[in-house]
Amino acid sequence: MSLAKWTVGLMAGMSMLAFAAQANAGEVRVTVAEYSAKTGPYFEAVKKEFEAKNPGITVKFEVVPWDVLLQKLTTDITAGTNADLSIIGTRWLIDFVQQDVAEPLDSYITPDFKGRFIDTFLSPSIMGGKTYGLPIAASARALYYNKELFEKAGIAKPPATWTELQDDARKIKALGSGTFGFGLQGKEIETDVYYYYAMWSQGTEILNKDGTSGLGTPGALEAAKLYKSMIDEGLTEPGVTSNNREDVQNLFKQGKVGMMITAPFLSNQIKDEAPKLKYGVAAIPAGPTGARGTYGVTDSIIMFKNSKNKDEAWKLLDFLFTTEQRAKFTQGEGFLPVNKEEAKMDYYVNNADLAAFTALLPDARFAPVIPGWEEIAQITSDAMQKIYLGGDPEAGLKDAAAKANAVLKK
Amino acid sequence: MQNRLLPYLLTLPSLFLAAVVIFWPVWDLIQISTHDVNRFGQLREFSGLANFASLAADPDFVAALWRTGLWTVLVVGGALLLSVPVAMILNTDFYGRGIARVIIMLPWAVSLTMTAVVWRWALSGESGMLNSALLGLGLIDHNIQWLASAETAFPMQVLIGILVTVPFTTTIFLGGLSSIPDDLYEAAALEGATPLQQFREITFPLLKPFINIAIVLNTIYVFNSFPIIWVMTQGGPANSTDILVTHLYKLAFRIGKLGEASAVSLVMFAILLVFTMIYVRLAMREQRA
Repeated sequence: MSLAKWTVGLMAGMSMLAFAAQANAGEVRVTVAEYSAKTGPYFEAVKKEFEAKNPGITVKFEVVPWDVLLQKLTTDITAGTNADLSIIGTRWLIDFVQQDVAEPLDSYITPDFKGRFIDTFLSPSIMGGKTYGLPIAASARALYYNKELFEKAGIAKPPATWTELQDDARKIKALGSGTFGFGLQGKEIETDVYYYYAMWSQGTEILNKDGTSGLGTPGALEAAKLYKSMIDEGLTEPGVTSNNREDVQNLFKQGKVGMMITAPFLSNQIKDEAPKLKYGVAAIPAGPTGARGTYGVTDSIIMFKNSKNKDEAWKLLDFLFTTEQRAKFTQGEGFLPVNKEEAKMDYYVNNADLAAFTALLPDARFAPVIPGWEEIAQITSDAMQKIYLGGDPEAGLKDAAAKANAVLKK
Repeated sequence: MQNRLLPYLLTLPSLFLAAVVIFWPVWDLIQISTHDVNRFGQLREFSGLANFASLAADPDFVAALWRTGLWTVLVVGGALLLSVPVAMILNTDFYGRGIARVIIMLPWAVSLTMTAVVWRWALSGESGMLNSALLGLGLIDHNIQWLASAETAFPMQVLIGILVTVPFTTTIFLGGLSSIPDDLYEAAALEGATPLQQFREITFPLLKPFINIAIVLNTIYVFNSFPIIWVMTQGGPANSTDILVTHLYKLAFRIGKLGEASAVSLVMFAILLVFTMIYVRLAMREQRA
């Protein structure tokens, strides 16, 4: 008897598996990155609204923490169990395109649809003339400064150049009482980017014109020396290599750090967690020649080639990129508007913080679209950590440039 | 004849399960590691031992290999040294023993990742509990940046590794101690043996099989332990606290070199296999002798 029971149970289980494997017609599965606590509820609301407007289509959102997103996608794609749509970092897109897992969206995109986007943000998702992704999130970086510390130290305005930044940091350090002039990030994601801010202001790019790594240039060395001298002089927070972006942001929220470079979402966090903090947002300091650069980032939502419900998936994309939906998402997460109509809304026009970010967009650099970019970023971060810990900048950069060039040659 | 076949027949189902769970992934890893493979695991042409060769040429891998050895020896050794006295104390009858046992076992119940996250906060340079406690006690006069460099980060990781390994090891030893009959101690005490002699002549020899099993199991767990190092430093700064698993994770999921990552995985599998076989051999021979 018990054997029969087992068999029945097993069969039932197997048929359920079979059902699960065969995606239901009209079901759109979407993998989304969890940007903040607001991401999940936002997509819950999207599901309700979209399903009400489109009977017959069900939407399933899988909210995945950002840190494990690439790992999940890698394993899902390997196993062939990926969703229909997914958010990805636009810098990964080239891998997806080269491995032929991303579907070009051009056959769906009407001129009217394309006209909704701000070109700066759409262009990183275009490769070889084809649009493979739509920018679901866009961000840039700018200099946050603590107005109260600036006032106490007798500094009138935010620094326009790195030399001024050093002076201001000295004055803030002189205030004592556990305050640090410049928050320098030295751990985990974007450690390399934090170094590029100084490097770009020297007129050096990540890739030289001939396609080799910019790390071997004199400008790159100047930038590394600048940060190292600031660490040696005690102008940064101590233990740079133990502070990731969130750690430095927390120091800023606690009013312990005078200046730091980060993304617009810090404004939202300050509003929630440290509403009394008086701060301003300014441009990233320029170098001796006036050159400056900020880091522009977009995340794209892509459609997988093996999706069985492409038309339904496109309907969902169309819905997600309406002005109303975009505004809800962007304002909740603290990103920059990617939609032209959205950018004209009062929320953005009257927001001094966001205005500082959008003013920097002409100087924005996006991660270069090359295979092996993640490896070069890792090499750069490792090299910076060694220098921040007291290593020789010249030898460190030379070594990193050689490694990066080896990757670039592949 | 039938009697001889029967044991094999009876082990067949579990052998089959083991094959599915163990041999199939290993076979898959061998496939991936000997091919040129893209970041989504699709195999391209056969590349022989090229992935293993590039590992051997990678100083970060070699450093991680040695560090994994150091990490395993320190954590397993430290946990053993600490667990024997702890288990002996918990084995004696005293008031509140139940509570003491629970306290020792508690870290086991908390997820390793959570423990590591809490320690990461505690070791934070500017707002960490450890620094404020040490400052309060007057032991240090300025904040120590625990996780900023490997010199302080790695020893702390080893200490935390020991802390979370102690409960399991203690449990094994408690089981061992309770199997030693009390009359042996009574007889020894009658003959005038000191507690130290009792330990050396009775407790330690009879505990030996349990120590052996604790060494083998802990070595396997600790060698493969990912959360502590990953959560606290991600193997950084500049790969200076990487062990093989964290190195593997970066290779596979950050950089997308699945071929080399599979090769690391096989190297780890081989090391553990060889260690376990040698150790079990030695331990068994000792017992027979």
